Amino acid sequence: MKLTILLLALLALFPVTGSSQGASPTDIGASTQPVGDPGVMWYTTWDTARAEAIRSNRPIFFMAAAATCSNIPGVF
Amino acid sequence: MFSTKEFVAASRDFVCVRLETYESKEHQDLIRQFLNGRMENTAFCILDPKGEEQLTRASRSPASVLGAEGRGPGATKGTNEEVIAEMKGLASSYRPRGNDDEMLLQDFHSFRQALNVASGDQRLLVFIAAGEREQSSARRNLRPVFADDEVTGRFHLDFGDPEEDSQWAAALTKLKSRSGIIVIQADTFGEKGEVLAQLPITAREADIKATLLLANKSFAATEERKVYSEHVAEGRRENIFFETVMPFGEDHDGDGEIDARRGKGKGKGKGKR
Repeated sequence: MKLTILLLALLALFPVTGSSQGASPTDIGASTQPVGDPGVMWYTTWDTARAEAIRSNRPIFFMAAAATCSNIPGVF
Repeated sequence: MFSTKEFVAASRDFVCVRLETYESKEHQDLIRQFLNGRMENTAFCILDPKGEEQLTRASRSPASVLGAEGRGPGATKGTNEEVIAEMKGLASSYRPRGNDDEMLLQDFHSFRQALNVASGDQRLLVFIAAGEREQSSARRNLRPVFADDEVTGRFHLDFGDPEEDSQWAAALTKLKSRSGIIVIQADTFGEKGEVLAQLPITAREADIKATLLLANKSFAATEERKVYSEHVAEGRRENIFFETVMPFGEDHDGDGEIDARRGKGKGKGKGKR
């Protein structure tokens, strides 16, 4: 009994998540941004982005991400 | 966060680059450079304009760095307001130069990836199919169009590569000609696309802008936002699979190898482990 209570207490303190990579895919919904609205203007190659940053003297906002989830495409 | 108007406005003071994690070894080498040797699915940091000096530490997301307190499991993430405030502070150290209509245009390494990313972002893809000389003049015409406030951030743009993209036309329906400025709506999984509009490569700026905005208006009226969980579930049911150059997975210990996932075996993809 004491062991069960201890385990439950530990689970409450350190909940088990599906992945260390953040929310599970089953917990993620839809973007709240209306389709067609302007979003971040992404460059998608490093060379072009760096050249543009040098030209315009703007700092670089760097992201790496995958438009796939477990190799299923068409989603960020 | 990325979807709020305030964040989008703040992002305009930066050159924003989003590299596909599993597209190439070069991309993963950059991620490892910023993450002290580790390779993670998502990574973020801010760099000086030369891309040489890190202005922030690197982590998984802007909220994990900007406005965040502490690191690891007990850390608190920055709020949208805190992230934006820090972005503004970092950008204020640099005085932008040059004209917006001289900006370099977005491009992708491949049409296949462009279609996938356009599908993921649910934006229209503008694909330039032309010879080398025509592409050069098209870039001059397109710069002021894509620097226009009404166009910026609403589309993705890709210039066709004769070798890498030799099969691009096979992925499209309603294609009238194999050259020109082609406005494409990617399908749900970014494997195919439908041509919504097509202009000659020599089209005038005003005509290009008008065509793009009309296509975007129609797209916005008919396209519904994907629900991430439902999209992934549907992909699994239909056995949709996007072959990546690099194996899927992460390298948390920074030993240069993708970590084995419990019960999953090696990372997927045709890349070397």
